[in-house]
Amino acid sequence: MSEKITFTVDGKQLEGKQGQLLIEACEDSGIHIPRFCWHKRLDPVGMCRMCLVEIDTPRGKALVPSCTTQVTEDLSVETESDIVKKAQEGVLEFLLINHPLDCPICDKAGECPLQDQTMAYGPGESRFIEEKRHFEKPIPVSDIVLLDRERCILCARCTRFSDEISGDPLIEFIQRGNKTQVNTFPDEPFKSYFSGNTVQICPVGALTATSYRFKARPWDLKKVSSTCNCCSVGCSVELNVSQNKMLRILGEDNEFTNQGWLSDKGRYNFEYLHSENRLLNIFSKNDESHEIISISDANEKIKNKVQELDNPDIKFIVGANSTNEEYFVINKFANLLNRNQFLSKDKSNVYFADDHIFNGYFGDEYENATFEDLDSSEAIVVWAEDIKDNLPVLYLRIKKAVKNGVKLIVFGHTNTALESLSDLYLGSEVVSNNFELKTSLSNIKELKSIIENKKVTTIIGKSTPLQKKNSLDQLIEHLQKVSDLKVLNCFSKANTFGALQQIDQLKGLNEFCEEYENSKKNIIFTIGANPINSSFFGSQIKDLLLDADYVISLDIFKNETTELADLILPTTAYGEKEGTITNMEMRIMKQNKILPDPGSTLSEWEYLIMIAKSLGNDINYDNVIDLNKALAEEYKISEDLPSFDNLNKPSNLFGILNYKEINLNIKDVEASNISLLMIKRLYGDSSTQINSPSISMLGSERFIELNSTTLEKYGIESNVANLIQGSASIFVNIKLNNLLPDNLISVPINRRGFEKLDPTKDFDIKEAKNMRELSVN
Amino acid sequence: MKETLLLTKHMRENPEDSHSLKSYEKNGGYKSVKKVLKSGTPEDVLQEIKDSNIRGRGGAGFPTGVKWGFLAEDEERYLVINGDESEPGTFKDRILLERDPHQLIEGMIITCFAANISKAFIYIRGEYAKPARRVQSAVEQAYEKGYLGENIFGSSMNLDIVVHLGAGAYICGEETALLNSLEGRRGEPRLKPPFFPAVKGLYNKPTLVNNVETISSVPWIMSNSGKDYSSLGVEGSTGTRIFSLSGHINNPGNYEIEMGSSFGEFVDTLGKGVKNKAIKAYIPGGASAPWLRGDQLDVKMTIDDVANEGSMLGSGAVVMMDEDTNLVLAAKSLVSFFAHESCGQCTPCREGTTWLENILERIASGRGRMSDIDLLLDVCDNISPGLTWPPKMTTICPLGPSATASIVSLMKDFRSEVEILLPKKVVIS
Repeated sequence: MSEKITFTVDGKQLEGKQGQLLIEACEDSGIHIPRFCWHKRLDPVGMCRMCLVEIDTPRGKALVPSCTTQVTEDLSVETESDIVKKAQEGVLEFLLINHPLDCPICDKAGECPLQDQTMAYGPGESRFIEEKRHFEKPIPVSDIVLLDRERCILCARCTRFSDEISGDPLIEFIQRGNKTQVNTFPDEPFKSYFSGNTVQICPVGALTATSYRFKARPWDLKKVSSTCNCCSVGCSVELNVSQNKMLRILGEDNEFTNQGWLSDKGRYNFEYLHSENRLLNIFSKNDESHEIISISDANEKIKNKVQELDNPDIKFIVGANSTNEEYFVINKFANLLNRNQFLSKDKSNVYFADDHIFNGYFGDEYENATFEDLDSSEAIVVWAEDIKDNLPVLYLRIKKAVKNGVKLIVFGHTNTALESLSDLYLGSEVVSNNFELKTSLSNIKELKSIIENKKVTTIIGKSTPLQKKNSLDQLIEHLQKVSDLKVLNCFSKANTFGALQQIDQLKGLNEFCEEYENSKKNIIFTIGANPINSSFFGSQIKDLLLDADYVISLDIFKNETTELADLILPTTAYGEKEGTITNMEMRIMKQNKILPDPGSTLSEWEYLIMIAKSLGNDINYDNVIDLNKALAEEYKISEDLPSFDNLNKPSNLFGILNYKEINLNIKDVEASNISLLMIKRLYGDSSTQINSPSISMLGSERFIELNSTTLEKYGIESNVANLIQGSASIFVNIKLNNLLPDNLISVPINRRGFEKLDPTKDFDIKEAKNMRELSVN
Repeated sequence: MKETLLLTKHMRENPEDSHSLKSYEKNGGYKSVKKVLKSGTPEDVLQEIKDSNIRGRGGAGFPTGVKWGFLAEDEERYLVINGDESEPGTFKDRILLERDPHQLIEGMIITCFAANISKAFIYIRGEYAKPARRVQSAVEQAYEKGYLGENIFGSSMNLDIVVHLGAGAYICGEETALLNSLEGRRGEPRLKPPFFPAVKGLYNKPTLVNNVETISSVPWIMSNSGKDYSSLGVEGSTGTRIFSLSGHINNPGNYEIEMGSSFGEFVDTLGKGVKNKAIKAYIPGGASAPWLRGDQLDVKMTIDDVANEGSMLGSGAVVMMDEDTNLVLAAKSLVSFFAHESCGQCTPCREGTTWLENILERIASGRGRMSDIDLLLDVCDNISPGLTWPPKMTTICPLGPSATASIVSLMKDFRSEVEILLPKKVVIS
């Protein structure tokens, strides 16, 4: 593929790679060939015929599509001959005869490849006097995507995407010839985690998103590159803003991370920024209610409280959505309080609000992997929480690697979506319901033949908060022994790695609960974290926060945790703050600011520096650039660092791979007899999602998954039931999943109601006889 | 002029039960394959086929022996019989399937022996319900007798045959669309490159796709010899062909004749002439082929002679149009067929064929414009640049360009018939 060859285009000698497609080779040399159906991330289909060029063949000159023709040594190509021009003009005329003239009300107008190429290559006037083709317009193909078949030019980009890339081919061509149309299957909506990508790659306005329809004109949009914060893949995005409102997020093609794609959550989870429920003022608890106070009053209150409590124990619970710069300041702030004897020195006081973190495999002993290693491995071994739901674009990358021949091994029971891609699925015969290995790995013959002496990348992490690390250690040890191993630690929440690298020592919520001492005076900071709702330890933490003497919450929404806070400080959110984040490969990328700070919000670091000052300490930073410089000094590879200013330039999409030391201190949660497998689903009840109207309903379905043996055990015959545990009773849809072992029931932990369940306790499932019996506690 | 019956002899002589195994074997059926399996080698078979100079009977006329030789090496290879006979005017494969299915099966066994294939498919046009039933029961009989399955005729050869019925799409007669359809995908032609059936065919494996008539000729060639076969007909068009004669003709039907006589002779003798009228135009090789004029009836019925006249012998469908024929409606009817059968992949074919149909419809109903002649030809040119035959294409497969053939013929030789339907220029003095 990489052998260099020379070929001629319009008389000019160009260089290309053997086997490269002509359209791509021309693009690399700056020659643009018009196209509609060709997309560099999709297999070519040669359908639209717009990219026809003339080449010399043994039988004379011939028109061929440049998207299906490979360059060969000495190939001679004409892209501007009269025949080519006539063919292009002809194709455009054909495309336009049935395309409606509704550009004035079309979202795509202004950034429409059909418009642009008609201007550049089109015939100028129409000779078509017949009636155009008509379809009902538009029809919803899912909750978030609409389809206008009159505008469609049948390029098959959307159908190929959903077939080749996302693997859920729910939109297809139906009918044939002049009646061909894209549509969904009867009674089966285009329900895909990745449907928004089809809207982005549609070359006309046929596919539109509910969240963006009629909201703006492309020429009115202010745009900036940034990095998504929905999970720790760190997809490159472009934020589109008009009149200080975020209107759209597009995927940017970053070879190293997302390769252009986004999950629908990453794409549509932004309307919350402008929700009327946003926290825009500082609130102080006065008796039972919260009242608005000024920033100076807030400072005063904290200062007085610290003095009044006389050497209190101060703890921090941090979330995953802060920037590296913010974690840097949180760490400095926490250390400062340590130095000032508020705390004993040997104790870390920062806890991370994600139950899935574990001590991980870092340091010199392990070679850490990048996403590119997945492409070049011979095998991928996955034992982690559900990748498709928690790191959706990583799922696409794995799927692509498998398509290119990489072998996939999946350990049960969480990644059932990956099973159909896998060469080897090791379910209940190997992994117990408590996620312990049942047999020695060296005894598994099929495993041996796939990984022995091969280049292996493992994606490894806790399947459930209750999984002990032991079995992961055994897996890593085995893989290191028999293969050439690279490790991708699977922590799925946004900037988890930023927190890990910037904070001297990080612990989990389990440690928080254990180390909290009721006898002491306690001040708790929660920073972008809602541990009461999102954690297995939620109810324990609730009790502790109620016990604490003073709780200060920094957040963007009122939630279960801020409800208990004595002081609520409203913070800036995604798109409102600038900084860097570190993805799961430990690649540092830039998040950019394009929106003004709403209301009285400040960044987390600004609050902390201010509070430090009022406590008589100075953390000497007053802007993000200085902060970034300070933390950049600590990166291991510092010589080829792009600067903070140009980190998101196209040439720097590589970001900065840094393997700064990580110090995690997480103990196993003592639990056995796991009967409920808590899986975090892509869509849930996070405050950002429920405040984004376009996607708020996507996380509303309550369901459980179980295998048919378990279903029989409970004698359920219908597909709805009540899941009952103690005082909690949840009406659920029942889905059969025979990859699950007997007596293990998977529940979507981030959906309303499920947070009350204890996975180690007994429960019952009762058939729901009628809707009146249904209740949600 | 007389017929030369090789493929249709058995069915002519046994009109009642030529499809039965009993009748086939009684008349020497399956002898040829037994001989080949007992004492022949794959190389012998290939040599006989090459010696016979038989060219594919599906329409393109590619030398069969050469095609077999192209089949790439692989552990798994397939034979697919193209029985999706859907070209208007063509009905020759129908009788071979319906009335002599064992002849085809015997041909397939020999072919698979020669090409070392153990899995074969017969793809039959969706509308051919009766032929498909007959083929299916013939295949079942052959399995019962041990002529198919494992160790057939006691040899070490294994062969399974699957009969598959199409869903009513002309485009599935295009070999790669047929393979798509057989795999359960949309019937759309594949890209060549890279999907040349001989290299990446059915399920991405090397696949031999041959027409029913071609493979039905194999038993005769093997029980006689390649040389015997090539002594029939003329050089370049050896052997016999089954022509489907239709249109304004007294005695339409299928006729198996040696290639080389003229169309006029064929029509006058076997066709018993045109109904008291002269022929205005005729289609020499199926709906895709450009028309020839009534004064071109002395053209010889060979692949090369018809090609020299700018048309093709194609699938052997000869359609006569007498002097009362409304050629504009004839062209419209043909174009409508192609528009209806376009798979919809390529823009020029999907949009262009329907547009051509609309314009012809307008002209035929008196709503034409003076500019329509130029428009028709220019739209044709955008589907098939240069309007030559064989056609250049802006499309993946030749279906779209085929739709232009009748229009180009109409404009070239019968333009006045179109002009008379268009409004006269009004000169204001």
